[in-house]
Amino acid sequence: MTPPQSRFRRTLRQTLTIARRDFIATVFTPIFLLFLFAPVIMGSFGAIGGLGAASVADGAQDKARIVAIVPPALAGPIAAADTRLRGVFRPEEAPPVLSTIAPLADPEAQARAAFERKDLDASAVLYGPLDHPQILYATRGSRAADYLVLLASTTLAAQRLGGTLPAVAATKAAIARQGTSIGGQHQSAFFAVFGIFFLTLFLSGQVVGTMAEERNSKVIEILAAAVPLESVFFGKLLGMFGVAVLFVGFWGIVVSQIGALMPPAMAAGFGDLAPAVGTPMFVLLFAAYFTMAYLLLGAVFLGVGAQASTMREIQMLSLPITILQVAMFALSSAAASRPGSWLATFAELFPLSSPFAMAGHAANSPGLWPHLAALAWQALWVTIFISVGARMFRRGVLQSGSAKPFWRRAKAN
Amino acid sequence: MRDEWAVTADDLVKRFGDRRVVDGVDIRVPTGSIYGVLGPNGAGKTTTLRMLLGIIEPDGGSRTLLGFDAPRDASDRVGYLPEERGLYPGMKAREAIAFMGALRGLDWKTGRARAVTLMEGAGLGHAVDEKIRKLSKGMAQLVQLLGSVVHQPDLLVLDEPFSGLDPVNQERLEKLILVERDRGATVLFSTHIMSHAERLCDRLAIIAGGKRRFEGTVDDARGLLPQRVHYTPHHPDPTIAAILPADAVAEGNGWRFELPREGIERLLGALIDAGHGISGLSIERPGLHEAFVRIVGEQEAQA
Repeated sequence: MTPPQSRFRRTLRQTLTIARRDFIATVFTPIFLLFLFAPVIMGSFGAIGGLGAASVADGAQDKARIVAIVPPALAGPIAAADTRLRGVFRPEEAPPVLSTIAPLADPEAQARAAFERKDLDASAVLYGPLDHPQILYATRGSRAADYLVLLASTTLAAQRLGGTLPAVAATKAAIARQGTSIGGQHQSAFFAVFGIFFLTLFLSGQVVGTMAEERNSKVIEILAAAVPLESVFFGKLLGMFGVAVLFVGFWGIVVSQIGALMPPAMAAGFGDLAPAVGTPMFVLLFAAYFTMAYLLLGAVFLGVGAQASTMREIQMLSLPITILQVAMFALSSAAASRPGSWLATFAELFPLSSPFAMAGHAANSPGLWPHLAALAWQALWVTIFISVGARMFRRGVLQSGSAKPFWRRAKAN
Repeated sequence: MRDEWAVTADDLVKRFGDRRVVDGVDIRVPTGSIYGVLGPNGAGKTTTLRMLLGIIEPDGGSRTLLGFDAPRDASDRVGYLPEERGLYPGMKAREAIAFMGALRGLDWKTGRARAVTLMEGAGLGHAVDEKIRKLSKGMAQLVQLLGSVVHQPDLLVLDEPFSGLDPVNQERLEKLILVERDRGATVLFSTHIMSHAERLCDRLAIIAGGKRRFEGTVDDARGLLPQRVHYTPHHPDPTIAAILPADAVAEGNGWRFELPREGIERLLGALIDAGHGISGLSIERPGLHEAFVRIVGEQEAQA
């Protein structure tokens, strides 16, 4: 008897009423401030931990050495070659400091003894002639051993060229690419996948316990009488999504302000991000896929969480939820690094990984129509997850064992 | 034009597992009436109401709500107070009422304004901005009730509305039900307390064991039992039993028995002729409680 449009409008209104209630009930509480500033707390602890770890690492780094047991005549040339080679490494990637020791009667015994010394921490030791050097290395010293081989080779080359390598006077100039590079695309893809994963990891898991409030306060009976359960579920999802958008918006503004103060070299690093669809479209698609990732994962978590009857059960769900999210991230990351592969196609089609993988797809491929199809596909799965969640809730919690599936009810209406 | 029936249920069936908790219930609630669904605990009253409202789906039968086959289509015109009361504890009373109105299509501003009026009318004006968690259980229950009428529904469904209320609030609730009926709403409520049903209901259904055992007016229900006569002679005399009906039972100085089908006049004549006289005589109609016990059976009535 009711025209379809008014039924739709009523459902929309009811959904938004639920969403509004949940948004206000979440945001206008002191606990929300704790939630909003959680990244500051996390960052502070991270910084403190990082400083501690760095100071421990620095202490160890001070004593780390690679050792060359060479005659005194070679100590100078090998040190010069080391200085020359070391210039291409970033400080954190540079090999340990080089120590040179004059050989004794048994260089091999001398080399082995270097690993036992308490005043230094040898990772690799070279002895013998430079064209046939013997290199011993400790656990995790393999790269240091490789560096000693390179060092020996460079020193030898310099000697054969009269003591020094020829000087090269190069002119270096930075250029901006006109198109997108494969590296920039892959970097953008990973950035997109990781960004969506990071945001949903923190935000979507919160949806899992939202039905508990209605169950515990017994409001669910009032809601179920007035509003279709699908609207209750979707409204709660939208309410919590509103909270997530507020959170992301707040931190987005903060980060953008910090970004303006970023050193030019670091800011230039972001310039390497070169999504295939172009930056403005990439930003739009990132927002769209974050929304879909939140709604998809949130719908699943909400449906599963609604079945839990105690806070303990809800807490127990947090581990599988995290594992599921990490699994989707791993799948999508792998897909982003192999665009066009069967793995990428699978990740783009599998509903829960689709938003992540399609964000990566946007970075790797310029076509836009797959995104329209993907967003429609993901929206369909949000609907399915919400309907299944509501149906399970009706069957399990409201004890209506024979509720008709939503498609039959829709047909009946 | 209003439908003749606000609610109809035909052969409603609901099973939980192998148990048929509602087993072919028929109900017709006239528009504008106060209709009671009576029954002992576990009779299937709540399940019947939940099916009528579309909270759960029936396994068999059909129902209409305000003329709609799908109860959801009438949801904006229905108010509901569930048996298990529940409000968001962190909400203010005024917001809670407005929220319940908003769920049924009332805009928030009007809902808030009406909430204040309703709360003041119910003697809760001082608690308008109190959070639900700070209200007493009875006050919270009244707030929920006000939330179910804030949008001025055409049909008000109340599941065990009197349970948990003190006598003062029970009287307030009775008045509110009458006010709603006078406004033009249909009121459908379930209860197992006969006195409320007796005072309020225009019609009622009695459900027991998932089946409808009776449907009609309160008078119809009471009419199922014969009237009772309480007679006191001038002087106690055991021989009087020979004149009285076989079911007469001595009670103090008098006797109690069912009103004979042919009336009381002939019996009184015989008593006077035998010299017993009439010191006291009353004819009582049985109450709804007695009718209920008779209809559902002694055992089930005590369930």
